[in-house]
Amino acid sequence: MPELEFTPVIGIEIHIRLKTKTKIFCSCSTNTDVPPNTHVCPVCMGLPGSLPRLNYEVVQQGMLAGMALNCEVQPKSLFFRKSYFYPDLPKGHQISQCDLPIVAGGFIEVHDENGNLKKIRVNHLHLEEDVGSLHHSASDGRLEGAAISYVDYNRSGMPLAEIVSEPDVSSAKEAVEYVTTLRRRVIYSGASDVELEKGMMRFDANVSMKCSDGRWGRKVEVKNMNSFHALEKAIEYEIKRQKKIMLQGGEILQETRHWNDAKGVTTASRVKEFYRKFIVEPDLPPLIISQEWIDKTKAMFPEMPDVRARRYVNEFKLTPEAADMLTDNKALADYFEACVKAGAEPVRASHWVRTEVLRILNEKALKIDSFNITPDSLANLIKRIDAGKISTTQAKEVFDAMTNNNLSLDEAIKSCGITEGGIVGDALSSIIQKVIAENPDVLAEIKSGKDTKGKKLKFLQGLVMKETKGQAKPQEVAEALTKALN
Amino acid sequence: MQLYELNLHEMIEGLKAKKFSADELLTSCQNRIDSLEKNLNALITRLDDKKISNPSGILAGVPTILKDNICTRDIKTTAASKILGEWKPPYDATVWKLLRDAGSVLIGKANLDEFAMGSSCTKSAYGATKNPHDISRVPGGSSGGSAAAVAAGYVPFSLGSDTGGSIRQPASLCGVYGFKPTYGMVSRYGLISYGSSLDQIGPFARTVRDLQIVMSVLAHHDEMDSSSFREKNYDFSYDESKLNLKGKKIALVKEFQSFNLEPSIANAMDKIKKILEDEGAEIIEVSLPVVSKYSLACYYALAMSEAHTNLERYDGVRYGYTVQDASGLKEMFERVRSYGFGPEVKYRIIAGTCLTEPSRCDEYYVAATKVRTLVAQEFARAFTQTDFILQPAASSKAPKINELDQIDELKSYEADLYTLPVNLAGLPGLSFFTGYDDDNLPVGLQLIGARWSDPEILNAGIVIENHTGSPKIANGGLN
Repeated sequence: MPELEFTPVIGIEIHIRLKTKTKIFCSCSTNTDVPPNTHVCPVCMGLPGSLPRLNYEVVQQGMLAGMALNCEVQPKSLFFRKSYFYPDLPKGHQISQCDLPIVAGGFIEVHDENGNLKKIRVNHLHLEEDVGSLHHSASDGRLEGAAISYVDYNRSGMPLAEIVSEPDVSSAKEAVEYVTTLRRRVIYSGASDVELEKGMMRFDANVSMKCSDGRWGRKVEVKNMNSFHALEKAIEYEIKRQKKIMLQGGEILQETRHWNDAKGVTTASRVKEFYRKFIVEPDLPPLIISQEWIDKTKAMFPEMPDVRARRYVNEFKLTPEAADMLTDNKALADYFEACVKAGAEPVRASHWVRTEVLRILNEKALKIDSFNITPDSLANLIKRIDAGKISTTQAKEVFDAMTNNNLSLDEAIKSCGITEGGIVGDALSSIIQKVIAENPDVLAEIKSGKDTKGKKLKFLQGLVMKETKGQAKPQEVAEALTKALN
Repeated sequence: MQLYELNLHEMIEGLKAKKFSADELLTSCQNRIDSLEKNLNALITRLDDKKISNPSGILAGVPTILKDNICTRDIKTTAASKILGEWKPPYDATVWKLLRDAGSVLIGKANLDEFAMGSSCTKSAYGATKNPHDISRVPGGSSGGSAAAVAAGYVPFSLGSDTGGSIRQPASLCGVYGFKPTYGMVSRYGLISYGSSLDQIGPFARTVRDLQIVMSVLAHHDEMDSSSFREKNYDFSYDESKLNLKGKKIALVKEFQSFNLEPSIANAMDKIKKILEDEGAEIIEVSLPVVSKYSLACYYALAMSEAHTNLERYDGVRYGYTVQDASGLKEMFERVRSYGFGPEVKYRIIAGTCLTEPSRCDEYYVAATKVRTLVAQEFARAFTQTDFILQPAASSKAPKINELDQIDELKSYEADLYTLPVNLAGLPGLSFFTGYDDDNLPVGLQLIGARWSDPEILNAGIVIENHTGSPKIANGGLN
């Protein structure tokens, strides 16, 4: 009997918070760095009589995020009411676009197990509101059994985009590449910062198994993954669990399971899924997006990272690895391009940004936006190296002085005691004379002809270099020294 | 003559000419309430604030009453439901802001059927309101308190809300003018929702000219309400040159002509038709087959579906009635909602839940949204043939409170047909006074227009009023 083969069939749902100044249906600030229940109003508290009104900044960001997923903007979309009871949901229903979304029909490319590119189709991205957050007094942080639970509605009404993939993902690895690539593209589009540590990206996965004997397992929805790692582990766990059941001839139950990050397992949800109904949100008119607005948004849609990386390889002759590294972060790539625009040679600029700039950012835990050496200054530094005015070693010293002491390029060069163009001619001669005079025994040894391997000459050469603080060209020093000895 | 008996435009003129002070006027109205309120129970909350926010506003010093489903900052707002408890909204409804900014003074919040669900004003957690023309009868509803308050002379005008006739029917039963504007003409922000796509706030008054004054204050675009109009401004000023019905067409609905009207209503129809013809208007017939056949089922499916989602927010977590000793969330929700909602509201929540339940949703809710489009299209077509539609606003005179359970089902079906389709199509409707029947009870009728024809309907109303005369103030059970 041939061994059974199993193919995982995985669909992924992602929630990301869109970047806007105000909430989706009211004018409350989206800043979360405030005490509980301070950024709230009758609308996001769902008070009787209040009405939602759509924030058009959210629509704009939804379009941009959709374009990052290669989706088409839909000229007409709708909002619905998604009903269930929970204390963090102030109206008893969530306003969501559900299945008539703002954008639809896109894809994200990932590498399959053979390293070939494959498309994960994106069914759609829809807009919806976030709910409040609950804080329980129980020791395990869960609602059940808590003596007191507190609700903070600051998060209520935050703008969310839910991104639903087709079941095209075949492994945990593909899932991680899908969400990583997607996240990078969405950040690039400017639609969201997708800061993982702030919970701006949350995942659910629908996992089922197809067996080579023709059996199809039922779909299991796995919830509660808040990191790439959790997503990967949860899918791996679920594939293993379902495979084992099917190998034993068992049935997979269609159910919702929760990922327990601490224990590394999924568990069947004890709470029965809330019974959900949808009616059209009567307080919001259909969302009609004009072609003019779509065109305007397309015009402001930035170059995506993969396209940009390809351009760096073709135009700037960077290696694909260097191009990938630079384009991973849009701000960093922007910085690099600004350097090139200011006249820095691209390959050298790429090297400086990837090594020195990133080193400082890592050491000081800075973001490129707050880095104190401007792209222009870095370009000038690189230009002086290329013009032979300062050595690469000196340049690194200057670079450190610029960032550590907040100096301009010229100030930093001065503070490092560097003479541009190096020490030559009479200045070099007098240093050589000084070194010779201070080392009569070494001189005597050379004169005696015992220094057959030139070791003593090299020693004197080193002393001269040290005396010039590396500002003389070694070859010139060697020539001048030989001349002085003869 | 007492000051409270003046109509709105007379009060405004009197105050302006300093014939009396705002204080004297308010006192007169408060005294009127003192003497009648125990008979009528028209108010849930009485207020004695005399502060005038804008002494130079068009309504400066004029007292008013709002239906208690309209939110008022720091003033208890109940929707006549126990579930809201002693809740005081932290914000004002847009309509109240507009009235207050025009100088009006709020002296009461009016009774209603709980969450505006009903047509008798007896289904209130705060007791039934009585009809001021005969306190053994209902005032109609759901805006019964607002209608009774104007009819009894508490205030010269009040606000109600109309989801399926809740302004027009009580206006008719109480003998006052009641206007349901075009959906979107008046902001709903701060109106506690029943059926959001059907709800509309509108005024009651004792003359049509007074309705014009109130509409001129209320008809504004409001960015807080996405269904609020933006296109243009509407002129509600009183203009004698526009009071002309010559050559206008006024239609009767063909499908309603077989209904067996009560004699008083049939007489009123004949009387008004004659007035209109005398004014040079032409009476025609329009056919509304979809409206007459499908609109009621469509209306109930939509109203209940929207209502049950609008009422999902009452869970005892944030405001209003709650329980402290529930063990767990589910028990808390169940106890709060079981105790807090009255039977009619529960009935509609259950109906709405069933109608939108996933296995039935397409057959009922989704189908209803499609029928609604047909209803609106049919009305729009009719209004290419006619300027207005004339029909009753209620199918009978005000029922006796103790005979409510004997209401003829056919009559209530016909009554629904007169009012509900207007909300489905978002049309404006004026309920107007025509005279008194043999029992000295008022009889009203209804004039319906195309969307955004609100100023024209009110002008037509004035023409009719010039023939019928305005209603007199009801004695409210006093001998």
